[in-house]
Amino acid sequence: MNNTKHNHYGIDMNITTNSATSSLPPTNQILIFIVLAMICVIGLAFGLHTMFVGHSHTFGTTREVPWGLLITPYVYFACLATGLCIISSLGQVFGVKAFQPLVNRTVFLSIIAMAAGLLCIALEIETPWRVGFYAVFSPQPFSNIWWKATIYTLFMVSMLSNFLLLIIKHYRSAKVFGFIAIVLVVIGTLNMNSDMELLGARGFWSDNSMPLYFLSLSALTGCAAVMLFNWISSIFTGQEMSSQDEVALRATGRLFLLLLLGLGYFTVVKVMGGFFPTMTNNPEAMALLVRGDFALKFWLGEVGLAVLLPLVLFFITKGENIMVLALAGLSCLVGSFVLFYNLVIVGQLVPHYQHYHIVDLPQYYPYSPSLHEIMISVGVTFFFLTAFVFGEMLFQKIFTQDQS
Amino acid sequence: MLRKFKTIQLDKLNNEGVATLPSKERRQFLRFGLAVTGVFLGGSILSLTSNHKAWGAVAGGKALVGSFPYAPHYTMVIRQSRCIDCELCMEACKSTNSVPAYGYRTIILERSIPKDLAQRERAFMPILCNQCNQPSCVRVCPTGATYKDSVNGIVLMAPRKCIGCKTCMAACPYNARYYKDEARAIDKCDFCFDTKLRESNGKTTACSDACPADVRIFGDLTDPESQAYKLIHTPGNLFWVLRPEQNTVPNIFYMDT
Repeated sequence: MNNTKHNHYGIDMNITTNSATSSLPPTNQILIFIVLAMICVIGLAFGLHTMFVGHSHTFGTTREVPWGLLITPYVYFACLATGLCIISSLGQVFGVKAFQPLVNRTVFLSIIAMAAGLLCIALEIETPWRVGFYAVFSPQPFSNIWWKATIYTLFMVSMLSNFLLLIIKHYRSAKVFGFIAIVLVVIGTLNMNSDMELLGARGFWSDNSMPLYFLSLSALTGCAAVMLFNWISSIFTGQEMSSQDEVALRATGRLFLLLLLGLGYFTVVKVMGGFFPTMTNNPEAMALLVRGDFALKFWLGEVGLAVLLPLVLFFITKGENIMVLALAGLSCLVGSFVLFYNLVIVGQLVPHYQHYHIVDLPQYYPYSPSLHEIMISVGVTFFFLTAFVFGEMLFQKIFTQDQS
Repeated sequence: MLRKFKTIQLDKLNNEGVATLPSKERRQFLRFGLAVTGVFLGGSILSLTSNHKAWGAVAGGKALVGSFPYAPHYTMVIRQSRCIDCELCMEACKSTNSVPAYGYRTIILERSIPKDLAQRERAFMPILCNQCNQPSCVRVCPTGATYKDSVNGIVLMAPRKCIGCKTCMAACPYNARYYKDEARAIDKCDFCFDTKLRESNGKTTACSDACPADVRIFGDLTDPESQAYKLIHTPGNLFWVLRPEQNTVPNIFYMDT
């Protein structure tokens, strides 16, 4: 039967509810799932096509710019998974009561975020089928990439174990895996910094503050995702949010504000680096970012969407309105994606021999993402959304359980 | 206001002489003088010393030539001013190592170096893998697909292990790597390890052999009879490496003579 509800978030919800006896989700939920899954499959089909014909025919990457758009969703989802793990650990591992109602859904979101990231990198590298074998039988422990693969694999195992134990209500055992997971992602984030810092050819990425930057950015995106997807869940399932959930989301909102101010600080540092060359390791890249071809992406994405708009939305409602918090989260998530794109690409665009007076050397290497890269990114993003909807249909009862 | 401050007129002061100076101050003065002289004459002095312990001639570099950890320790000296950009080296490299048309293991870059306000000097700079002693590409490879040969120090590829993550390409400061579709792996200069170098019993590479102007001098830094060894160890020869600030300790040396 169809009901039109008007909840206290000010949203009209036209929901088809099932009879209590049926175990199937409502039809409109299934339809949404199918639509999302179809977009996901279309996007991933571009990835399969790429694997057959070769990346050089379908990607916009070049010898000079070997990392393209697809590194962005990988790093983005890995950081998102890290942030979600941090938020879940606040309630689960560190026993902060305000966050406990959010634990189960956040653990699930963290798992699917990491799965999306790993899916993306599997489609980005040229021969992913060699990874499993040679990562085990020809490991290179000095390589941060090897550590990243190992850490994120262990993270997935820990978080899956965590979630399974939460399903069967073995909370103490789950907490152990939650603790292991939080340790792993913190190491993983620090490793990601070292990974990028090691690429000495690209000075843009080497900075002493990068570990803190990555960690706070991860936690920020985690907060944003928690606020957004809990709100979407209440819309999607048509269930009113419990008061504990609302309290938890407002607490997340306050943490979000704190981290947002931190990101604002880092953004100011970038702006200063862009205008004052002596304040950065790589003035050419910073100039490109802040006042060059990437300026629109920087000011609109990194400054406007990632920092300013969420701040304005938060202060307008004093962080009380759940829907506005969700919108602030959405704005921050979109802006953060742009931020990660800039982070990956801009550093590579400074030519290797820029100070050698090379004839016909461009001031910056060119790069634009190809259709395949864009569609694979869309596919991976919709994989995450499809998995989220799937989780809402399958684990609704588990998500509403309170850890406390 | 100014009258409040006592002005010192140096010409009216008595000369104290150096006899009264404490020896510590004299030593500091001498040290300062030597340091200033050393900065200006550093390049000349450097070229006269044994290059085994020489430090980078280009600011910011680590030791260009330290101890030679490999035997043979292959190197290439590029006499840049002799290069006429005939590209025979590139052609030889392509045909010897089956390099596809879309890629290259070595290339020649054209430089336009400002000499003063009005003049610029043209020069051709051959580029290839620098076979670094501290290669960032090897450091980042997750599966050991690229590695430093423990005998001769050449940075080699094991294509079957390459996962195509291209981190080595991103890490290489010299843009010396490309992805070879046919091998489904990264390809790079390996001093013709399996081709010309093997055929010539370690004496030459395809590019070096093809160069009509003797620009590319291939050799062994542990062999005093090698021409490359002699060039590097000749007093007065000034050489440099590319991007010394990257601290990769390259084994490709550039010089003008």
